[in-house]
Amino acid sequence: MSVAWQFYISTVLIYLGVDVIACWGLNLQFGVAGLVNFAFIIFQAAGAYTAAVLTLGPAEPASQGGFQQYVGGAHLPFPLPILAAGLVGGLLAALVSGVTVRRLRSDYEAMVMLVVSLIATSVATNQVGLVNGPNGLALVPKPLSTLVNLSPIDYQWVFVGLTAAICVCVYWVVHIVTSAPLGRTLRAVRDNEQAAAALGKNVTGLRMLAFILGGVIAGISGAVLVEFISAWSPGSWLYPETFVYFTAVIVGGSGNNLGVMVGALLVPVAFLEATRFLPPFGPPGLIDALQWIVVGALALIFLWFWPRGVIPERRRRFPVPAKDEVPVGTGK
Amino acid sequence: MAVNTIIPAIGFGIVTASILAVAGVGFTLQFGVTNILNLAYGDIMTAAAFIAYLVTSAGLSVWLALVAGAAFGSVFSVLLNRCIYTPFVRRGTRLFGMIIVTIAVSLMVQNGLLAIFGANFFSLKMSRPAPVHIAGMVFTTVQLAIIAIAVVAMLLIHLLLRYTKLGKAMRATAADPDLARNCGIATDRVIDLAWAISGALCGLAGVILVMNVTAFTDTTGAQFLIPIVAVAVLGGIGQPYGAMLGALVIGITSEVAAAIFNPEYKDVVAFVILVIVLLARPQGILSEVATRKEVAA
Repeated sequence: MSVAWQFYISTVLIYLGVDVIACWGLNLQFGVAGLVNFAFIIFQAAGAYTAAVLTLGPAEPASQGGFQQYVGGAHLPFPLPILAAGLVGGLLAALVSGVTVRRLRSDYEAMVMLVVSLIATSVATNQVGLVNGPNGLALVPKPLSTLVNLSPIDYQWVFVGLTAAICVCVYWVVHIVTSAPLGRTLRAVRDNEQAAAALGKNVTGLRMLAFILGGVIAGISGAVLVEFISAWSPGSWLYPETFVYFTAVIVGGSGNNLGVMVGALLVPVAFLEATRFLPPFGPPGLIDALQWIVVGALALIFLWFWPRGVIPERRRRFPVPAKDEVPVGTGK
Repeated sequence: MAVNTIIPAIGFGIVTASILAVAGVGFTLQFGVTNILNLAYGDIMTAAAFIAYLVTSAGLSVWLALVAGAAFGSVFSVLLNRCIYTPFVRRGTRLFGMIIVTIAVSLMVQNGLLAIFGANFFSLKMSRPAPVHIAGMVFTTVQLAIIAIAVVAMLLIHLLLRYTKLGKAMRATAADPDLARNCGIATDRVIDLAWAISGALCGLAGVILVMNVTAFTDTTGAQFLIPIVAVAVLGGIGQPYGAMLGALVIGITSEVAAAIFNPEYKDVVAFVILVIVLLARPQGILSEVATRKEVAA
């Protein structure tokens, strides 16, 4: 395989990893817990900024040749920026959910989240001192690149391995959460909030927990992305990007981790990558515009024909306990 | 803060409020009657603005452009509802699904315009506006026309809702569709007409929005969507009079805030008002309908 192809394939694999991680996070919030988080992308963005700032080191003042301004710069060794990104994503999610996860009708909830997303973009763009405003951060050093002395292509494959390892860790977490009693409780809250509350479940607490976990995962996905592409600006996380992830989750099968992985493969990766192979036509921007039209159409088509996705959520059946048997889970 | 910054800002605020009132009343009427949060509303405004642009570019008057924009908004909204929204609702798509549907339509309309017209700045061809001084505020003749158009539109809506059978039927359908149907109101026809009227207001708002700016792009209407929703929510969903009041509040507050603080944060004011109202009083300032519509649990 030629080096160019290797570069291309490894890059696509890394993007796939990032999208899969993000979709698992969104699926935990939306698919499992039924939270309509239309600000999902800002948690990815927060993670990306955190990882970037903690890798870049302290900002140099413009008088000493520094070309970007930001707060809280530090040189942390490799896994720490990613962990910190997860932490910041989770903290931001705790903050947002503390204010917004109330019992609003779900289209209103989506609206509030959309507004939160727009406010975040506006603040990050206009408070230039925070994360370098509209220009964003650039030249983020790649992790481990100073320790391991590899050719660029070998480094690509190392990064693929790294991404895969993080994917496995995240999958392990979401699998445990969704298959444990916690996952069943979250589904119960999603399907019938009143019934879950009547059984003594702390509905608000559970929803917040799912929201925060999703925020942590989103932050990690952003960190992996920024460590790879080494630049991040408000243009990377406008609210339509959240729509792409929602489309991926719906196409894949919301509520099903495996399905969501397929969705991430189909929508953000296969679909948006495929256009690279089209010969360029029309004025600049036309292909992008058509891409968005097709993503919108894809969402509509799936909601119409296969609203449960390619791999639907498994219907869970529980045996009815015999009369004299003590039902499982009643304790005592 | 000096008075001589605030008074002109109130002037700008009145112009913004006029545009918001037309757009907000259209939005709230349609949401109240049909119960669909139509996030493609801003993009239909942009589409109407492009229609107006084509009309003025053809050398016709801007008044004709206003009519064409309103007509386009009306027809497009009815078709959108007939061909996409209603079928999805009939198929059992729930609230969240409908949000995805309307965002998908919004992205498709916006990028469709981008694909057709390209990523340029556009402006309507109009005669050069002259400045007019009124009580310390400066308006252009175009802005005065915008205010007049908004006032006339609001009066017409008031007359329609208060004094015609259709208006009564629309209010009845908004309050309780099942009961309205049982009383012999043809709710399907009322809903069609609601889309037509709100679409006309939407188109009109799109054209007056771009009359007020020097240049517009494919995202101009979408950027205006959140203030519109803020107006509708502040006024109470389905409450045209509330929306008129909400438009004044949000239009003037955001312009005054822009004059006092940073103009970059003009929109943030509307955003913050929207979030606070949704969380603190989701039924809006004038509504008792919203609680029955399960907006607030």
